[in-house]
Amino acid sequence: MPDIRNFFGGGGAGESAAPPKAQSLAAKKPTGRGRPRKIVSDDEDDVEVTKPKKNTPVKPKKAVEEPKEEETSSSAYFASNKSKNRKAATNGSVQTPKKTAQTNGGTPGSARRSARKTSKANYAEETDDDTAVKLDDNKDGGDDDIHADNHKVGRNADDYEEDSEEDDLPVKPTKRTSRKKAAKDEADSDLEMAEVTTFDGAADSKRTKGTPKTSSKKRKAEEDEDDDEEDPTPKKKRKSTSTATRKPRAKKEEPENSEVAQLLASIKTVRAPTPPPRDENRKFQFGGGNAAVAPANAGAKEIPVGAENCLAAMTFVFTGVLDTLGREEGQNLVKRYGGKVTTAPSSKTNFVVLGAEAGPKKLETIKKLNLKTIDEDGLFQLIRTMPANGGDSKAAAQHAEKKAKAEDAMKKEAAEMEKKEKERQRQVEREAKASAAARGMVVPEKPKGPKVDDRLWVDKYAPDTMTAVCGNKSLVEKLQNWLRNWPKRQKHGFKQAGPDGNGIFRAAMLHGPPGIGKTTAAHLVAKLEGYDVVENNASDTRSKKLVESGLKGVLDTTSLLGYFAGDGKKVDESKRKLLLIMDEVDGMSAGDRGGVGAMAAVAKKTNIPMILICNDRKLPKMKPFDFVCADFPFRRPTTDMIRSRIMTICYREGLKLPPPVIDAIIEGSHADIRQIINMISTIKLDNKQMDHGEGKAMSKAWEKHIILKPWDIVSKILRAEMFTNASTATLNDKIELYFNDHEFSYLMLQENYLKTKMARVSGYNGKEHALKLLEMADGAASSISDGDLVDRMIHGSQQQWSLMPTHAVFSFVRPASYVYGNLGGQVGFTSWLGNNSKQGKLSRYVKDIQGHMRLRASGDRHEIRQQYLPAVWNKTVKVLQDKGKDVAQDVIDFLDSYYLTKDDYDAVIELGLGPMDQENVKIETATKSQFTRLYNAKDHPIAFLKASTIGNATAKMGSGKREKPDLEEAVDDSEDEIVEVADEGLEGDDDEELDLKKDKYIKAPKKRPAAKTKADGGAKGKGKGKAKKVKDEGDSEGEEDEEPGPKKRGPAGATRGRGRGRGKG
Amino acid sequence: MSLLVDKLRPRSLEALTYHAELSERLASLVGWFYHQYGCALTQSQAASADFPHMLFYGPSGAGKKTRILATLRALYGPGVEKIKIDARVFQTSSNRKLEFNIVSSVYHLEITPSDVGTYDRVVIQELLKEIAQTQQVDLNAKQRFKVVVINEADGLSRDAQAALRRTMEKYSNNVRLILLANSTAGIIAPIRSRTLLVRVAAPTHAEICEVLESAGKKESWKTVPALNQKIAKESGRNLRRALLMFEAVYAQNPTVSEKTPIPPPDWEVLIAQIADDCVRERSPQMILQVRAKLYDLLTHCIPATTVIKVLALELVKRVEPELKADVVKWAAFYEHRIKQGSKVIFHLEAFVAKFMRIYEMFFAGMM
Repeated sequence: MPDIRNFFGGGGAGESAAPPKAQSLAAKKPTGRGRPRKIVSDDEDDVEVTKPKKNTPVKPKKAVEEPKEEETSSSAYFASNKSKNRKAATNGSVQTPKKTAQTNGGTPGSARRSARKTSKANYAEETDDDTAVKLDDNKDGGDDDIHADNHKVGRNADDYEEDSEEDDLPVKPTKRTSRKKAAKDEADSDLEMAEVTTFDGAADSKRTKGTPKTSSKKRKAEEDEDDDEEDPTPKKKRKSTSTATRKPRAKKEEPENSEVAQLLASIKTVRAPTPPPRDENRKFQFGGGNAAVAPANAGAKEIPVGAENCLAAMTFVFTGVLDTLGREEGQNLVKRYGGKVTTAPSSKTNFVVLGAEAGPKKLETIKKLNLKTIDEDGLFQLIRTMPANGGDSKAAAQHAEKKAKAEDAMKKEAAEMEKKEKERQRQVEREAKASAAARGMVVPEKPKGPKVDDRLWVDKYAPDTMTAVCGNKSLVEKLQNWLRNWPKRQKHGFKQAGPDGNGIFRAAMLHGPPGIGKTTAAHLVAKLEGYDVVENNASDTRSKKLVESGLKGVLDTTSLLGYFAGDGKKVDESKRKLLLIMDEVDGMSAGDRGGVGAMAAVAKKTNIPMILICNDRKLPKMKPFDFVCADFPFRRPTTDMIRSRIMTICYREGLKLPPPVIDAIIEGSHADIRQIINMISTIKLDNKQMDHGEGKAMSKAWEKHIILKPWDIVSKILRAEMFTNASTATLNDKIELYFNDHEFSYLMLQENYLKTKMARVSGYNGKEHALKLLEMADGAASSISDGDLVDRMIHGSQQQWSLMPTHAVFSFVRPASYVYGNLGGQVGFTSWLGNNSKQGKLSRYVKDIQGHMRLRASGDRHEIRQQYLPAVWNKTVKVLQDKGKDVAQDVIDFLDSYYLTKDDYDAVIELGLGPMDQENVKIETATKSQFTRLYNAKDHPIAFLKASTIGNATAKMGSGKREKPDLEEAVDDSEDEIVEVADEGLEGDDDEELDLKKDKYIKAPKKRPAAKTKADGGAKGKGKGKAKKVKDEGDSEGEEDEEPGPKKRGPAGATRGRGRGRGKG
Repeated sequence: MSLLVDKLRPRSLEALTYHAELSERLASLVGWFYHQYGCALTQSQAASADFPHMLFYGPSGAGKKTRILATLRALYGPGVEKIKIDARVFQTSSNRKLEFNIVSSVYHLEITPSDVGTYDRVVIQELLKEIAQTQQVDLNAKQRFKVVVINEADGLSRDAQAALRRTMEKYSNNVRLILLANSTAGIIAPIRSRTLLVRVAAPTHAEICEVLESAGKKESWKTVPALNQKIAKESGRNLRRALLMFEAVYAQNPTVSEKTPIPPPDWEVLIAQIADDCVRERSPQMILQVRAKLYDLLTHCIPATTVIKVLALELVKRVEPELKADVVKWAAFYEHRIKQGSKVIFHLEAFVAKFMRIYEMFFAGMM
């Protein structure tokens, strides 16, 4: 038996007895390989190729078995020859059998098989002995079946199944034998045929490697044996399988060197210019002189099209900036061909794709591990030359094996699921029957054919056991523990924390991104622990009141399910327990006022377990749940965790998706299981094949729209990959980037566009380079300027919002198209906003100053800022700075003469620019304090009070006061002229004194009859009382100088004058 | 203690030192007869009823406001100089509250509608109507009408100007408008046709020197005619600026001579620095540095148009003659865009980038 298992090895040993021979063989083979491929079909080639490779490692060990192997291998050869012949014979009619296949039905098995493939219904019938049937199918194929097999050739997708069926065998040997009855009478030739078909399939599918084929073949061989001997014991078989699986591992270790060498050699010989040595040199260059290398060149190379899955089992690491490929592009390229991409080189890395400015750390590792480094061209060459399915390399073999194992597991799972499904259906039937019987009704006619399960896949494939949970397993177990111990803990009043510290909580909080199974986990746990679930989610209003009153009915009760049951069902005592699941707790919105708080309060004292579910635990509004709930942070499962589950589902649904496609979908959906299942459900509806690219495209189309942050938007648009000729990003993609945040994206771009290492000027040097740089900068700047004009049309009076895309192009995409390149350093946040608000603040200062100076100085704001302020600065700040505290009084007098306040003085300092910049102002502390002291010692004239300051005060006034007349002045009685002007309205009003306290310009202690205010009776809440200063222009200078004196008392000593606004005079 | 420019401001028509002809015309409008040879004015009551709406225009620092005040004084007497500031709150249609300052005497009021930006129409409509509908109550007043002075009239929005034109006709019994503008360009034709255009030209260098001379005399400073000339030239025929410079020079130097440097205002120093930067190094990094300085200017309330104008002039001083025309051309181009657009820094930066590029190209061409 064992000999036969390894019969290929022997055959291979014979062939590759001498290494040089093997070399020559290897060298020869490709040519041979290529030719027949075109002429007949791939299958024979694969057979030939895989055999010798496999054998090499085994050769030393199993030398004894060689002869036998020789025999079998020859038979295998024969078989393949036979198939070849048949192929040739049937070749012409390869297409036609397709139709015949369905009707063929020579043996029941074949009919069944083909039927299963086409219709799900039939499949369901067979569910019981799924694997066996499949196996039988292969055997049953027989001569008649050959059409079916050939027909399979036409349908690539089917082959996948074939292989996996084969792989299944070793795992469930007993089953297989026991169920083999149907296939008892197969002949060896049938077996051979089966083999042939598998090879056909493998070759055509282009997805599976040579190794699975050989291994399956091996197993086939076993089967042969089994069948021949008629009654092989399961034990035996198990043993044999175990050895079979162990074998490859042994192979791996022993001949490692020769294998690797061979691999290297084969790659070398395949490639005309051998990149590895060349790259080795390069690598040292990089490691040594790490001078800035010119960044990515935009020149586009044609990306080669390689054989399907040709990079399988190879691990790549990308580092540095490639010539034409973007990092992501390159990685996608590798993934498309089945290769694996990791971020850091390790001993398992097959190739490092090296670009300019490679990371030094990576280079170090590369050097240490002596990894093969290739450049972009090398990668292209690799893709171009590697045979499909990773050829026959050892790595490919390992990879395939791993895959096979995964498929095994998947099969098993699928079978289990199927069984359960059956069970469930039966159960339903039974119940239906029982209930019907109970009611004395006629048992309804059992529907013909299997019932179609019309549930959503998401429900259908929701995990119903602990083992079926994808990812977060330990968390779910912890949750289960918590729930299990809940009654116990309740008895102790939730005082015992327990080993995981969750014992003190009456509620649990599951949180994590959507689609990773939080709700499912909650329901699963409830089911497993026998709780009846009351669920409450965002579709219910959950305001404080409703939470309090609504939950009251739940919290202290038990479920009716503990006492009653539906028709024919048994009462389940355990169902009496209730579990409250509050889903989407963070979805409590404005309509659910106070709901979160009420919920948290409930969670503190609930008498039934509660599970709360939310997406974002960190939201401020989730704060009330801190220290109230046991936290169960769910994380996204990794691709590996999901993949097998998805493959199982695909298999169950008869959907053929190659693993790379599934990976692409998983990655694209960010491991959102629900979305993935929905996606494959859609794919099923289309019933079409998918390749890697389509899978990517689909997950992209389904992509949850993640809104990029402004920083990411800019770094993305400025990336060289966006604009190189090789870029696949369309104008629309770029515009789309802008719309991620249309208010910020262009501002952020404007902030950062000059900070790039512009890729478009990399080809120039010296003067030309400088000029080109400016050309690009100018192009970008003018485009941004154009964009602003568009912006004005959008946000200005025209409101032409349809111009948004135009704005996107002018202000965002086009500038980036000039300056794209590596963004050195960090992406800066736009300074426009800050500067804009600063401008607003300072212009308010200027406005205030102008308002205050208005009585003295003519000129608008700009004149004040541009002409007066420097003069004022010279008169105040500079004087204080130069002459110290002695002049403080003079400065104060000057300010008073212009009605400028201390705030204005500070504003003057802040408004300084250049030589007068705030930073350069150095006034001694003594001077400052002297100035402040003197300033505070006295009152100062005030030009007017702002309505807003007074508004607060008047708001408190009785409504009666509002009817008072319009205008009012507080006039300084010491000034005769003023009295004259104002005396019509003079009037004391003592009861309003209090209001002065709210008036920042008026000091309380000096109060006499205070200036007060009135409200405008009219619709406009007009500015009330202003302490008014009158300018007496007509007088001589001398008098003017005196002015500040008397005025100082101004506000305090002001009598309240009330005049009738416009009517006066 | 006030600055010279305010302290020495002429208050009556006869005290004005230049544009005597204009002063005379204003006086006759008011009904005063201006005697070229005598200093006294005699009033004839008759003429004043014909006082028209007026539009004063001319560059800043030419004396427009001074002339208006003098005219008002001639109209109403010294009472017009007793002014106060009111803050009034207006409510826009969108219920936004606008605070608006009004400078007024009993005879006139002065408003600057552009303070409230795009809401100037609201102010014009509400305020003017309110004033115009109220008759002069004071029987002793010399005139039956009040005067509303509208500052920065060229900054009024179209809507506001349209609101104005009807008011001007309808309420001319009670109110006269005096508009102030730097140029008539921003004023719609219907308004121009309803007003008496009064152009106040900038004073000539000689006139400025004369003013400075007399100011020096009043302050008993020893003036240096050559320095006065320099200041006059430096001020760009802006009398306000000339006086402020004059004072600054004397304040900072105990003794002045022809050589005494005239300190430029802070922002001009900064713009000159920017010009130096642009000429010295031309690279994207420099554009970034310049951007920071431009932001500084803008945040400190220097209008973008002023920045680009001064910058262009500074650049023109520094570049080769062949390039001067180009620099001016692009400055004009981007100045127009500043007016059209909303985020001025974009256009300023584009101008800087454009300048660096043409300057660099010029050198590349030379090589």
